[in-house]
Amino acid sequence: MPQTTIYVSPRSFGRPDARPPAVETTELARLFAGSAALAGVTLRVEGGRSVALLGPNGAGKTTLLRVLATILRSSYGSARVDGLDVVRDADLVRERVAYLSHATGLYDDLTARENLHFAAALLGTEEPAARVERALLDVGLGERADDRVRGFSAGMRRRLALGRILLGRASVVLLDEPYAALDRDGMGLVDRLLAAWKEVGVTVIVASHATDRLTGLLDGTVTLDRGLVTAVSGAGVTSVAPTLGGTRAPAPEAIR
Amino acid sequence: MNGLRTEARVAMAIARKDAVAELRGRHATVSTLFFAAVVLLLFGFALGPDARRLAEAAPGLLWLAIVFAGILAVNRLHLLETDDAALEQLALYPVARRAIYAGKALGGFAVMLVLGVVVLGAVGILFAVDIASAWLPLLSTVILGAMGIAAVGTFYAGVTVRMRAREVMLPLLVLPVLAPLLLGAVRATAAALAGDPFGELGAWLQLLVAFDLIMLMAGAATYGFLLED
Amino acid sequence: MKTRILGFVALAAVVSAAIVGLFVVPPDLNQGDAQRIMYPHVASAWLAYLSFGVTAVGGVLWLWRRDLRFDAVALSGAEIGVMFTAFAIWGGMMWGRPVWGVFWQWEDPRLTTTALLLALYVGYLLLRRLTEDPERRATRAAIVGLVAAIDIPIVHFSVEWWRGLHQTATIASPERALDPAAPMVFVGTLMGTLAAFSLAWLYLMIRRYELARAELAREEEARRGRLRAVQAAAANLRSQEEAAR
Repeated sequence: MPQTTIYVSPRSFGRPDARPPAVETTELARLFAGSAALAGVTLRVEGGRSVALLGPNGAGKTTLLRVLATILRSSYGSARVDGLDVVRDADLVRERVAYLSHATGLYDDLTARENLHFAAALLGTEEPAARVERALLDVGLGERADDRVRGFSAGMRRRLALGRILLGRASVVLLDEPYAALDRDGMGLVDRLLAAWKEVGVTVIVASHATDRLTGLLDGTVTLDRGLVTAVSGAGVTSVAPTLGGTRAPAPEAIR
Repeated sequence: MNGLRTEARVAMAIARKDAVAELRGRHATVSTLFFAAVVLLLFGFALGPDARRLAEAAPGLLWLAIVFAGILAVNRLHLLETDDAALEQLALYPVARRAIYAGKALGGFAVMLVLGVVVLGAVGILFAVDIASAWLPLLSTVILGAMGIAAVGTFYAGVTVRMRAREVMLPLLVLPVLAPLLLGAVRATAAALAGDPFGELGAWLQLLVAFDLIMLMAGAATYGFLLED
Repeated sequence: MKTRILGFVALAAVVSAAIVGLFVVPPDLNQGDAQRIMYPHVASAWLAYLSFGVTAVGGVLWLWRRDLRFDAVALSGAEIGVMFTAFAIWGGMMWGRPVWGVFWQWEDPRLTTTALLLALYVGYLLLRRLTEDPERRATRAAIVGLVAAIDIPIVHFSVEWWRGLHQTATIASPERALDPAAPMVFVGTLMGTLAAFSLAWLYLMIRRYELARAELAREEEARRGRLRAVQAAAANLRSQEEAAR
């Protein structure tokens, strides 16, 4: 049965006024074999705010999240998470970021509980056994904990992946289409997770098409289209249009 | 020291995860064992039926079968990570990249060890080679060889896992690199089977140790670059 | 311009080395005229090693500095190295046929090592072909090039050992001329050929690198052009919206 409260471990962020912007990108661009997935995004999300990342398919939402999660290098420009550069300080950024991608990154031949235990071991979760049980209950998989993930539906996999995020202590949570494949119960779970993170001051960026659902839950929105920010609204988020053609390469001397 | 302990714990967790998945799914072991058996049989047809010639060729056949099957096995262990983009998830964890490499290599080593021991037994039976009387040097050779194949194979599987034409590229890249290992392991096996008449066994085992250490260090130092893509 | 002068000098040097090697130096007492192949053979083998060293260093510098020019250096080294390796193997086989009686002599550690080198670096070049994104390509290639370079001495050492501990007969080796006892005229010719080939190597490296860099610059210009186009279109749209308001 869905719990009313979800356990999110508390975090300390220092003095609120001293907290750097949770996400700060400068002229961020990424090209894949010629086409621009990101074409110069300058964006700033304040710490503790939750922001929806909107836009049509292929707008660059996933690319932006992947760059912030340190698993994709940008072609040009720079990005910082909690004031730390995603390339130079990648190790430290990984301690602060959690990312839920389209794929759930689970192991089919392990059970739900084993998958979470594995994640807890790699995340360095304290009191892993208790936290894993709690996370399983929180995402509503308590009864299926000993079943192998191979037999799980897409929605159950997504729940389990969300449970994995609960084991960490990320201060910035990046979610890519969290509502995808979820039933009504599961969508409610995501809503409650968003609220719980907001409560403890975790910054959340949600790439989604569920615009209606997210208004009210989140502080602001960013709209991407063809790799550029086309609109920004609400609190906690600002953006600047790219200076035309001024996109700076990470190594300015790279080509001569 | 504390950092090293954490890294060892992470590596063990990854290797254990691979082992559990392996025992349940039997991805790598069973199919590659079967493959190795078929390779041995075909070697027998190609070189037989003269029993003496087969026994002479046995060390070479043993290691060719182990190397070919080993490449399949290590590739399979990496495919485990590409189902559902688990490798990407692995890269997201705040752990040292070399610990991830060590874990994958350790998992590969376990599979390779099982493979090596079984193939060694099969060679003993099929080619009428007396492996029992030289079991200790033979086992040492298999352990060192398995470690080297796991070290190199894990590393190159990381290079090719997200590439087009992966199935061709992996053996193409790995086999020439493994040449010294193949050479050392075959000579060590031959020496061990012959009772080491020229006292060369120790030298070959040392070569294997050096190869393993160098490749493990190279893999640990560079695997991180492969995870960020 | 300077490169072109270097090219002509290198060409003249290689031609003179060929004339000296073929017509001036007396034939070897044991091997006869076949020994003449040794001069270009040894020189290209050495330059092949040098090229692969350049590839490894270029790759490491790319990983460290993230500058694609270093990757262009690595690529040049690998391609030119493969060329020189193939030439060295061909020369070795041509030499082996009259001297050893076979094209391929398994007991010669250098020949077998060189063949493995060729396999290693053909794999390297194929890997590059199969990766489209320039940065991914540079990273994967750098790592593979580095491990290949680490593998070279192990391969060489193990093959040498393999033969040494398993020796059947003493065989003639192409490096005989380097023996301290060898006549000075042989050593001198070899050194001269090496110098000439080094000039040719340098010229080829510079030319290949220039080509790779021109390609890089073109790719880069295309990338930036695409970015500018996307940004201009968006700016256009924005100003239209503002005008409508």
